[in-house]
Amino acid sequence: MTSIISNLNKVFDSRIRLGIMSVLSVNEGADFNTLKELLEITDGNLASHLKALENIHYIQSRKQFIGRKPNTKYEITELGRNCFKEHLDALEKLMN
Amino acid sequence: MNKQAEDIKVIREMMEKSSKFLSLSGLSGIVAGISGTCGAVFAYFYLQCDSAMSHSERIRESLVLLTDALLVLLVSIGFGIFFSWKKAKKSNQKLFNSATKRILYQLAIPLIAGGIFSFIFLLRGHVDLVAALTLIFYGLALLNASKYTFEEIYYLGITEIVCGLLAAIFLNHGLLFWTIGFGLCHIFYGLAMYIKYDLKKK
Repeated sequence: MTSIISNLNKVFDSRIRLGIMSVLSVNEGADFNTLKELLEITDGNLASHLKALENIHYIQSRKQFIGRKPNTKYEITELGRNCFKEHLDALEKLMN
Repeated sequence: MNKQAEDIKVIREMMEKSSKFLSLSGLSGIVAGISGTCGAVFAYFYLQCDSAMSHSERIRESLVLLTDALLVLLVSIGFGIFFSWKKAKKSNQKLFNSATKRILYQLAIPLIAGGIFSFIFLLRGHVDLVAALTLIFYGLALLNASKYTFEEIYYLGITEIVCGLLAAIFLNHGLLFWTIGFGLCHIFYGLAMYIKYDLKKK
């Protein structure tokens, strides 16, 4: 039992980070505003969680311009996808 | 243990919400079905009154039928957008997000190809096959778009394709199968989706 629990990723203790990873794992990418709308949280809150995930290289950001507006698009990395999948598998095992 | 169950719920919800067009309302289907049926009934009685027609009358007839079809299309799309917009507003979502763009794109390709193809048939005088063609291409478009919305759309797509093939086999009853496919099936699936997704959430 303890070995299964240890497979749960501490990073994903936060629901918001879990939400971000869920969105990015099934989409090619999402910009800041899309994530904000989906998760229904404030700018500052979202930005800090995105920063945290980016710092451990689970996601990467790409700054671009749409017309004149700056826009940051987020994508999941290979590492992030693997860790997220491991976390899901661990959750699944716990549920059974 | 409870936290994990809640976590999985959040994950599933976020995956669905971000990748699928969930603002589709069953009411759109019902209205599309009713307007489709009305259009078909009009066409049925309009076509009844001809027997021996001159060339100019024949052209006028196809123009009236084309207008009839366009009106049905406009009413269906108009109410479709209206009900989706209302549903999106209710759940605090934007109507035009990336999932919406994706599903419109997936719908548009088979629909435009089918529309042009049917129009070519119409111009070449194969009016009898148009009902079957529009049904089949519409069914294929739904099938293609169904990955990005509710699963019912998948079965609606298959139903439309079957109706289209039947309309091609029983060529004299094209309008009947068109009424079943675009009219009754829309009402039936619309009602089912309205009860399953919209009523439950209230």
